[in-house]
Amino acid sequence: MSAPNCLRGLGLGLGLTRPVALRNVAVTAAPCAAAAAAASFSTSAYLQAIIARPKKKAVEVAFGHHRAGKKMKLSKFKKANKGDRGKAPAPGERKAYRKRILLSNNNAIPVAGLQDFAPETMLDPSSAAKVLSIPDAVVDQLRTIEAFKTTQSWSIFRKPSMLVRAETVELATRMQGAAANKQALRLVATGDKLTGKSMLLLQAMTHGLLNDWIVLNIPEGQELTTASTEYAAIPGTANPVQYMQQNYALRLIQNFRKANEKVLVRLMTVFAHPELPQNIPVNSPLLQLANSAKEPENAWPIFQALWKELMAPGRGRPPVLFTLDGLPHIMKVSDYRSATFEPVHAHDLALVRLFSDCLSGAVAFPNGGAVIAATTRSNGPRTPSMELALAQREAEQSKSVVPAPEAFVKYDERVAAALRTVQVMRLKGVSKLEARSLMEYWAASGVFRTTVDEAVVTEKWTLGGSGILGEIERAALMTMRL
Amino acid sequence: MVFLLGNNFHELKLVKKALESFYALGPQTSERILAKYSIHPRAKIGTLPPRTITALTAELSSMKIENEAKKVIQDNIKRLRDMGTYRGRRHAMGLPARGQRTRNQTETAKKLNKVERRG
Repeated sequence: MSAPNCLRGLGLGLGLTRPVALRNVAVTAAPCAAAAAAASFSTSAYLQAIIARPKKKAVEVAFGHHRAGKKMKLSKFKKANKGDRGKAPAPGERKAYRKRILLSNNNAIPVAGLQDFAPETMLDPSSAAKVLSIPDAVVDQLRTIEAFKTTQSWSIFRKPSMLVRAETVELATRMQGAAANKQALRLVATGDKLTGKSMLLLQAMTHGLLNDWIVLNIPEGQELTTASTEYAAIPGTANPVQYMQQNYALRLIQNFRKANEKVLVRLMTVFAHPELPQNIPVNSPLLQLANSAKEPENAWPIFQALWKELMAPGRGRPPVLFTLDGLPHIMKVSDYRSATFEPVHAHDLALVRLFSDCLSGAVAFPNGGAVIAATTRSNGPRTPSMELALAQREAEQSKSVVPAPEAFVKYDERVAAALRTVQVMRLKGVSKLEARSLMEYWAASGVFRTTVDEAVVTEKWTLGGSGILGEIERAALMTMRL
Repeated sequence: MVFLLGNNFHELKLVKKALESFYALGPQTSERILAKYSIHPRAKIGTLPPRTITALTAELSSMKIENEAKKVIQDNIKRLRDMGTYRGRRHAMGLPARGQRTRNQTETAKKLNKVERRG
């Protein structure tokens, strides 16, 4: 039998189900296999394998032949019953899960000899390139003011600990210097993605809380400008109208009160506040004033009163640290609309305006303090005005050529004014010594399971783009991130 | 439940969506109404104070929406028919008014081209 005949015989055998056909197949199959062995190319072996497959018929019954043509199928749009899916999460549950911050992990190995931050630690140049942990009391305060971020991997270590880098010491020294001179340090921390800008803010806040400063933190600039919180025009303002964000202000005051309770309880009011609905007599604790914020309606006036009290000169007030993460979000036109449907500039939102005035130096800090903002790279809107202003300040500081504005870009004059006199701290990669110290801490915590030697440090340091902290973490720990 | 212009809305409903549920009130108008009363676009209707709800109801009742907007369309069609125009006649017959073929695919015209048009 020639090969084509053999194929035809098999074809029949496939299509028909009668016993006769089966017999045909049985007869032709054996010689066909011999022919297949002789011919250089044959599909017979494949076809035989199909016959040998017992489930073929059942499959054809279920789905029809693949050349059966068009058929009406009424069950086409019906959803397959996937069984019981269980209870859906309650409203807000998924968000709470997404936003939760775990600061401790009992499975991590406690690091022997890990020291806590003391009030002067960050001022001491010898503590640079050391990993130190945050005292428990300060952890609670920092958590209250939302200083920790979900993107930071606290949850794989026993205790929140941070690497003190050279920039940390420099920042703390500058903060302390400004406070001693009863002036405000006005500084913007900037740098590439994952260089530790938010972490530097956290370190500044830690330093502030350890030294009994008053710390006020706006955790995300975007919460104020993406039109996701209530706003209302402040009565009596015009050209341009100012807006208060009463719900946000209430939350801010409450967090501020909880975090700074220890300091607020021993500060006494020096002004009467007739504009407030509650009667707060002179010489009552500031805590009482902060406590009076219960409703969103009067949150903004109370915030203003608090600010006025904190800025009272010559009353033994502690320095104030005002921080904000996500600076580009507040250096643009916000998503809010005015009553006449005009876009509202972020600097017309009262809280943002207060921060930008502090940053520009328009608001004085008679008791000293610091205003520190951090830019954001991965989640930042494009703000050419801010970029230009920061580049110019940086060039001025390093005495190099100041970049000129581009001709075809629209720059925002208000942004330029807010950033005219700030100091810029550009964060880059850490040194190998600092990287090594951090890796030794990881290894001691049991999450980095390698001997930390010169070769490993150099490898990870190089993989991490010459010591970009987040990239080193990615290279070394990403497989461990849960 | 929040009562807005004779309709009940769930408290978790977005104010913007609640406004857009009214006939002849679309995204553009709802955005402007929100801005006028300083309501942020992601506000839920349950978070609005009662006086804002009252103000919104007053605002909506002064607008040409729902039945009044439908009446405008019906009046336009009626005017065409009363004038005896071709378009008026086509509406009365439930046929396409803009030169489309009528051999088949005239379902939309049959549904919409009526003197007493629904919506």
